Formats: sequence, C-alpha cells, structure tokens
Amino acid sequence: MEEKVLEILEEYCEEALSYDGDSMMEDGIIDSFTVINIVSELEEEFDIEIDAKYVVAENFKNKEAIIALVERLLEE
Amino acid sequence: MQVLSYTFVLLWVITFALYYLVPQKRKWQILLVAGLVFYVVGLQGVPVSLLLSCVTTYGCGIYLRESLLAQRTALVNCTDKESKKEVKQGFEKKRKLVQILYFALHLGLLIFYKYTVVTLPVLTVWGVPTGFFEKVIMPLGISFYTLTAISYVVDVGREQCEAEENPLKVLLFLSYFPAVTQGPFNRFGKLKEEIEKEHIFDYDRMLRGIQRFVWGAFKKLVIADRIALFVDTVFASDVSAVPGSIFAAAVILYMLQLYADFSGYMDMALGVSETFDIFLPENFKRPYFSKSVAEFWRRWHITLGTWFKDYVMFSFVMSGTGRKITRTAKKKWPSMGRHVVPIIGTMLVWLLTGMWHGRTVGYMLWGVYYGLIMSISLVLETQYTSWKEKLHVKDGKAYGFFCMARTWLIVFVADVLIRSESLAQAGAIYRAVITRPDVGALFSQTVTSYGISKYGFLLLAAALGLWLAVSVWEEQGKDVRAYLAGWPMPVRWCCYYGILLVVLITGIYGGGYDTAVFMYQSF
Repeated sequence: MEEKVLEILEEYCEEALSYDGDSMMEDGIIDSFTVINIVSELEEEFDIEIDAKYVVAENFKNKEAIIALVERLLEE
Repeated sequence: MQVLSYTFVLLWVITFALYYLVPQKRKWQILLVAGLVFYVVGLQGVPVSLLLSCVTTYGCGIYLRESLLAQRTALVNCTDKESKKEVKQGFEKKRKLVQILYFALHLGLLIFYKYTVVTLPVLTVWGVPTGFFEKVIMPLGISFYTLTAISYVVDVGREQCEAEENPLKVLLFLSYFPAVTQGPFNRFGKLKEEIEKEHIFDYDRMLRGIQRFVWGAFKKLVIADRIALFVDTVFASDVSAVPGSIFAAAVILYMLQLYADFSGYMDMALGVSETFDIFLPENFKRPYFSKSVAEFWRRWHITLGTWFKDYVMFSFVMSGTGRKITRTAKKKWPSMGRHVVPIIGTMLVWLLTGMWHGRTVGYMLWGVYYGLIMSISLVLETQYTSWKEKLHVKDGKAYGFFCMARTWLIVFVADVLIRSESLAQAGAIYRAVITRPDVGALFSQTVTSYGISKYGFLLLAAALGLWLAVSVWEEQGKDVRAYLAGWPMPVRWCCYYGILLVVLITGIYGGGYDTAVFMYQSF
C-alpha cells in the first residue's frame, strides 16, 4: 500500500517525496488542485471514499500523514 | 466604533488592564464584554442579527454533537456492514437537512442585508413600496461572522472540533472584537485553544503587540489614505481628459492602497490580540512578491481563501455530484477529464468570492476573470515545462522578476474592474492606457494636480521605500521587531517614537476625508 501511495505522490507532486516538514499545504508544496487529483487517484486505487472532512491540512501535512490516512480508511 | 479611533484605544486599554487583573477563568468574559461594547457602540443599538446568529449556531452545534453521539451508540448494536451503512446514512441525512436549513438562514440573511440596496431601484420600478427596505442597514461585520459561524457548524459536523457547551463562548467566538469587522477568519478550535490557554502578563509581548498596531496605523494613515487622495481624484475625472499613464499609475497605486489598507488593519487586529496573548492567523504574506496568481491568492486574505477551499471547493469536489461528474468526464476525456470538476469548483469559488466582495457586475466579472485564469493555468500546467525548455528559459532572478511582473499585470487588469465606477469607465481606462499612454505626463507638473503635491509624493515614496525594505526583510524570514529589540535602548526607542511621530504628523486626518473607514469593511 505504502509503495502505491508514494507512486501516486511521485506522479502528481514529486516534491512531496523529499519534503520533510509538517505543513505541506501551507508551505505551498501541494496546492488544492494537486490534493484533489491525489484524492481521486487514492480513491480509485484503494477503492475507498475520502470524504471532504478528511481533506484537511493535518492529513496532507507530509507523505507519512497521507499514508496514515489511507491506512485508517482501509481499516474502517 | 472604528479600530482607528480614540474610543477603540480607550476600550483596548481598559480591556487590557482588566484582562490581566482578573483570574484566568474570567479572562474570556472580559473579552466577551469588550466585544459587545465594541459592537453595541459601533452599531448604536442591540446586535439582533449577531445574537440570532449566536443562538442558531450554538443550537446547531449541540444538535450535531448529539446526533453524532446517537449514531455512534446505534452503530455499536449493528453487526454487519450493510446495517451499519444504513444507520449511518439515516443519521447523516438528518444532519445534512439541519445544516442545509442553517446555511439557508445565515446565507439568506447575508444576501438580504448585502443586496437590499441593489434591489431598491428594481423594486421602485415594479411599484413595490420600499419604505421598509430603505431602513435596512447592514449589520457591522455580518460578512465576517456569518462565514465564521458556518465554519464552526461544518467543523462540528465533520468532527474537526467539539461543539461548545457554553453559548456565551460561541458568542465570543463570533464577536471577538479585534477580528469582528474584517477578520481574519478564525477557526473555532484554534481560537478556543488560544483563548483558554494560560495567559500571563508579559511586557515584551505587550510591546510587540503595540508595535504591530502602530505599524498597521502607519500603513493605513501614511500610505493607504495618502494614495487614496490621488486615486479618488483620478477615478473621479473624465477619462478622456486624463493621460493613460496617469490612470496606469492610479491603478498601480490603488493595488498598493488596497494592500496597505487591509494588511494595515490586520496588523492592528493581530497586534491588539497579541497584547491579550491571543495569536490570530496571519492573513497576508507579502502577496506582491508572488510569481503566479495562484501564489498571490495563497498570500492575500489567506483565511478567506482557506475558507472557500475547505468549505466550498473540497465540499463540492468530494460531493456525490462532484464524483459523478469526475467519473463521466474521465470516461469521456481520459487525459483531461480529471480537470473538469476542479475547474467547475474553481469557477464556483471565484464567482462566490466576487459576490462576497461586492455587489456590482464589476465584482462578478472580477471573480470570473480570476476563475478563468486559475482554470487555464491548471490545464496548461503540464505544458509550461516543455514551453520553457523550447524557449531555453532558465529559472533565475530575471525569470523570477518576469513572473512577478506578470502577476502584477494580471492583478492590474482585475483591479480596474473593481475600482471603476462602471464597466464603461473600466473599458475606457483600458483603452486610455493602451492607446494614449503619454508617459511624459508622469514626469510633468500634471501629476501633482490630482490630489497630492510634490512633497506628498516624496513622502509617499519614502514611506513605500520603508515598507518595501521591511517586506524584503520579512520575505527573507527575518523578524523585524525582534531585530529592533536587539538595538541599544536609546536607539530603539528613538525608532519607536520616530514611527509614531511619522504616523501622527504625516498621517492623513480630517479635511473631510474619513480616515477611519477601512476599505475591506465595506465588503
């Protein structure tokens, strides 16, 4: 799962892979269009539904947070 | 009551003294009373609309919390996935209905107050008696506390913050006086954390807050209000009698005026709040250094942009309708289909942003214009790299300046739309700038016949130079106030008093020009 998430990130926002901070959205690494594309790809890849309530800076603060979000949604 | 007035400073000083005198658990009550005083004095009446907003927001929050609790309890008794889904959907449906009613009430009130003035001529034409509507006055800060209240209700529904037990704390959230008229837009969770943490008096923090307030007053009184003298005179003139270059200068100065005015207010609001040890979110990050329009809007009125992104853009894209459109578009156009919903969302957000800012067609066009630019940039994003390679364009200082100039030009075109009295005037200004620039007029005596004397321009240039120097420093990540604090005491205090004197002596006061009114307050 982790590898697949990283592949999606690589496709839409390569910078996210090397980013080591904790506010990717605020730091301008990832914009809202990229978030939407990543969410759409994650939903298709893992057959999950990412509701708007999960699309917050906290869940997209770095690659680890995105992986954790997918993990959580897969468990639900 | 305006933030730049003696009464406000008096309220601030009294609130500050009481705030640090009372025990921790009473501090929020002092802020609440101060907010109500600010509101009642400003409105010169009972804030009915604010109280109605508070009661409904509090009630809606409690309902959502109870519904989420009941849902959790009901889910425990469900054994299979299907019944869980059914129970969840049942609760969600009811919550959605209550939220829709809540939004309809609040947005309905906002639209009613905002657009009544515009509909008056139409009603007169239709022969409808307008006596009642003529008495309608837009409540102070309704554009701000309505969006703030909506964010609270959505956040509680999304379980991103806890519903507040105490209705008076909801009232404080909506009416926190440094932010109630123009923002920044607070999120309940964050403001609650700030308000409820332990506050101990700190001399340095108080000084930093006052410094920021004075710096905001400098931007407002010395820069924005001085520019206004020139811009107002130029825009009130007959376009055919004014050289295009003078109009171009007026529009560029208007761009700076809007920024100085609004960011000046933010400095004052954040400075006042800092003295209470309550840190509000930053609303500006030097937007005119942006290399693209998207970046510009990530740095300008940040909390409004985030509000629209979180509550309109993402809500639409992740909604059933948004998902359905995405699926269909991807099937129809495999490579570009993914852009369809973000483009619809962007256009929607920008149209609403335009309508939120103003009531004229110019504002709507302004919103559509930005929406189109953002959408085109989104579609062409992948092409940029190949274009740059083909044209042998390399990233560097020169290219950075080119990108910044491009952003200024795009904002320039947009701001003509919102500053002009009519679309006809906007069109005439574009024509004048392109067809008869007459650049020489900028360096002749003509330029001083539009409200600012030669010395006024020199003073403005010096003030803008200081502002630019501070901005460049901040852009490099430096804290100017901390740097000043490191200077020897006599030099430091000379500097503080110097700025204060500059504000008092060279600020634009009186003379029939209402200095206290902030531009964004009318939005």
